Amino acid sequence: MIDFLQNTLDGLALGSSYALLALGFTLIFGVLRRANLAYGPAIMLGCYCATWAYLKTGIGLLFLALIAVAGSTLAGVYVERLCFAPHRKGAAAAAMVASFALWMQFEELATLALPRHLYAFPALYAGGPLSLGRLTLRVESLVMLVAAILVCAALWRILYRSRFGTAVRAVIDSPAAAELSGISVSAVSLQVFALASAIGGLAGFLIVSGNEQVTPMLGMWSTLKGMLAMMLGGLGSLPGAIAGGVALGLREAHSQWYLGPQLRDFIAYLLLFVLLAVRPPWMNTRSAY
Amino acid sequence: MDFYFGLAQTVGIHTLLGLSAYIVLLTGQVSLAQAAFFAIGAYAAGMLTVLAGWHVVPALGAGSLLGAVTACAVGFPALRVKGLMLVVATLAFGEGVRLFFFNFDYQVAKGGIRVGPLGGEGFRQIRFFPEHGWTTAEVMLFIWVFVIGVMALLWWLDRSRYGAVLRSVGEDEVAAQSVGINLTAVKVSAMTVGGAIAGVGGGLYAHYTTHIEHANFNVLLATFAIAYPIVGGLRTVFGTLAAVIFVQAFLVEGLRFLGDWRNLLFGALIILAMNLRPHGLFGRHGA
Repeated sequence: MIDFLQNTLDGLALGSSYALLALGFTLIFGVLRRANLAYGPAIMLGCYCATWAYLKTGIGLLFLALIAVAGSTLAGVYVERLCFAPHRKGAAAAAMVASFALWMQFEELATLALPRHLYAFPALYAGGPLSLGRLTLRVESLVMLVAAILVCAALWRILYRSRFGTAVRAVIDSPAAAELSGISVSAVSLQVFALASAIGGLAGFLIVSGNEQVTPMLGMWSTLKGMLAMMLGGLGSLPGAIAGGVALGLREAHSQWYLGPQLRDFIAYLLLFVLLAVRPPWMNTRSAY
Repeated sequence: MDFYFGLAQTVGIHTLLGLSAYIVLLTGQVSLAQAAFFAIGAYAAGMLTVLAGWHVVPALGAGSLLGAVTACAVGFPALRVKGLMLVVATLAFGEGVRLFFFNFDYQVAKGGIRVGPLGGEGFRQIRFFPEHGWTTAEVMLFIWVFVIGVMALLWWLDRSRYGAVLRSVGEDEVAAQSVGINLTAVKVSAMTVGGAIAGVGGGLYAHYTTHIEHANFNVLLATFAIAYPIVGGLRTVFGTLAAVIFVQAFLVEGLRFLGDWRNLLFGALIILAMNLRPHGLFGRHGA
């Protein structure tokens, strides 16, 4: 029983990082209806900027977080302008291939700046884990959980209580109607891209400082996990993205315990394939936020 | 000269991979499972020549058949989803297959050494070509016989009634259905043909590199598979060939003198190509 609870707790912590990644993905997908393969690599680039700054100057964590967020945001804006702005109408496949090309570029940039495969990243918290009775919880996980909740709250506030949010939701509903009522779809999609990449940058920073290391694989990993969590929660729904991320985290923590790491991912992917093919009812709703 | 033969081998194998995605893309499906069918063909053909001692030609046939059967089995459930859902469903399947090979051990002792796939270590010593004394040029010709055969087959299919049906489904499913086209049959058959082509490509790949491992068949390879026909355009099979030459010969080999900076330019050129020609280098004109 205690194992089960411990796994659930670990899964929640892992799931909150997936939830953050899925939130960014969902925002982009909602506005553009395009798969952005360069989402994870942009986050990876932001984290590499932070690592580079850390190695050169050794500045504090707060600055590193700012650099990671700023780097990811800039990379995200670069992706939007090059891959998605030119293909807003039609040619979804061209946009996807273009974002794939930028993925290659980002990986190359990261390895040019820092050629080793693995770099240490300063830990978020140096002390040991907290204990709650017989359960333990890493402080990093707690920070991740709190950050995920805060980001969700802020995002809700932005989307439902601001003029910008109204414009975003209008574009999601119908880009043509939004354009007619004087909303610049181009500007909104750029801003949403920046917002989503900033969230991704924050998630990336928390993940690498929790793992205390950074590798170029972070890019592919973030894209995969974010996309899977988004799918699990149903496409294009923000609460769904959070639920999908948490579900993915719980599932990984439990199957790791019962099946071991080798089989864990294999079974996970086959289950996901079956799930997508069967398509349970909550995945059909294409509710706008 | 061997360098150019080697390059021609790479181009040939990537063309097969691209063509397997081409026929699936004609029906409007973006599949990231092509690398999985490629992997299945590679492992199956490799195991048949190394462990069972088959000649390479029937082994390639068996690999291709297994790729086709798997693709057909994936085609039915994958039909239920479209667009990004299909991309992720096929991605999940592809990763599942890759992880299967990551955990797959089947080794037998042969002539004092143990051969066969060994999980994360990969599958070494697929030495049919060197054992039978094939030169690089002969291997290249052997690969290109398959490439030309597949291209001719697809070129002919494209001009047949079946090709028109494939394209009509790709253009507008509802319209195609309304004139009595069976969507299930069309999509699953396109997927099956794609799987067979990827299986042959994989078998050839296994034999020319002599060493395969699960990491060869990751998302990156799957994305390359769909990128070739999209960059080349879906008008003819030659678009895919041109895109493979553009990417593998020009961007990867031709720009090698740029060293580490190559991938930066690689990305920029693909972006440029996609922005100037959103329907591919040899696709139709206009946006």
